Amino acid sequence: MDENGQGNLRDLLTQRGISRRDFMRFCALMAGTLALPASAIPKISYALETVKRPPLIWLEFQDCAGCTESLLRANRPTVAELVLDILSLNYHETIMTPSGKRAEQSLKETMEAGGYLTVVEGSIPTGENSFYCCIAGRSAEEILKEAAAHTAAIIAVGACAFYGGWPATSPNPTGAKGVKDVVSGVPIINLSGCPYNVDNLTATVVHYLTFGSLPAVDDLGRPLFAYGRRIHDNCERRGHFDANEFVREWGDEGHRKGWCLYQMGCKGPVAFQNCPTLRWNGGLSWPVGAGHGCIACAAPDFWEREPYETVPIVGPTPPTTYPPVEEETKGLSPAAAGVIGGLAGLAVGVAGAVAARELGKERS
Amino acid sequence: MAERLVIDPITRIEGHLRLEVQVEGGQVADAWSSSTMFRGLEIILPGRDPRGAWLMAQRI
Repeated sequence: MDENGQGNLRDLLTQRGISRRDFMRFCALMAGTLALPASAIPKISYALETVKRPPLIWLEFQDCAGCTESLLRANRPTVAELVLDILSLNYHETIMTPSGKRAEQSLKETMEAGGYLTVVEGSIPTGENSFYCCIAGRSAEEILKEAAAHTAAIIAVGACAFYGGWPATSPNPTGAKGVKDVVSGVPIINLSGCPYNVDNLTATVVHYLTFGSLPAVDDLGRPLFAYGRRIHDNCERRGHFDANEFVREWGDEGHRKGWCLYQMGCKGPVAFQNCPTLRWNGGLSWPVGAGHGCIACAAPDFWEREPYETVPIVGPTPPTTYPPVEEETKGLSPAAAGVIGGLAGLAVGVAGAVAARELGKERS
Repeated sequence: MAERLVIDPITRIEGHLRLEVQVEGGQVADAWSSSTMFRGLEIILPGRDPRGAWLMAQRI
């Protein structure tokens, strides 16, 4: 390790007594999160052990510190490992020790050295000469533009940083904007959500260290490994949706039984994020698991959608009627019930019967 | 001899804060604090449906 603490991870791990096994487990977890094959694990471990830790500055603008809270709850790895071992976090107002001039000195020196990653939390007010958010006498807009001039990439965490979030909702009193509307000419990755999930930040940084580039993104700048799949399709309550078992009122029987929250306004069918698989709080739970519908917090316009309104189902629509869950089968063996079901199916219509006969011919 | 100390940003807090302290003869003579960030939740919330407003209010 050099005098600035910029050594590689291998030195730091040895120093901190972290076992090789734990380290490899972490690499495998990252490969899994990034949807990479097992062959990527040695690449990740090699990169993390040899590449120098990138300096990182964390800029807080019109934020609620919720995304910082998400960072502080990192446990895969822990925040200490993330901040001290994998990254060199040189500036973060909420968790750094120095205040005032000494804090700003750290920011200035990192910016002058260049090659750092920039994390932005919160929106940027642009109204009234941008004076709605000032740090050390300079506006958020000015600080962001200066950081963007020398940064390797900007990682916008949370819905506010990329889209503007709720400060930008009507009537947007401060002229709040997202990073993408304030700076250009620099790679911006969108780790949206309210808040974002810290494991996705870790995985993005690991991807950057391993492959020297940011992960593939969708048309909203969101990494596909984290935002490529529909929540509704990976939801643990999906079976209840398909079986027409819905919560109709908070606290009703369906709610107590953990049925589908679609009728209560769950936005899962239009939401794309890896919450159902990655989950939150160390994999303990996630909003739908805890009994509230998804609010699609990674979508650009989610603050304009009322949480209690249902969303249209895109793609295959389930039928409007279902057989009762408890079928009357008294006196019938399961096989007999199957035969009756099959006969009923044949009786649906002439076309169906013809099709069945055609299939029969092919087989014989 | 009067001296004006300015500490901005105050770190390890949630939000943005600036402190100015007037020191005279080794004693604090006056002090000012200012919150240097405004989002306008008070302006955004009126008129919104309460069934959705709570989600915004909890993110203050």
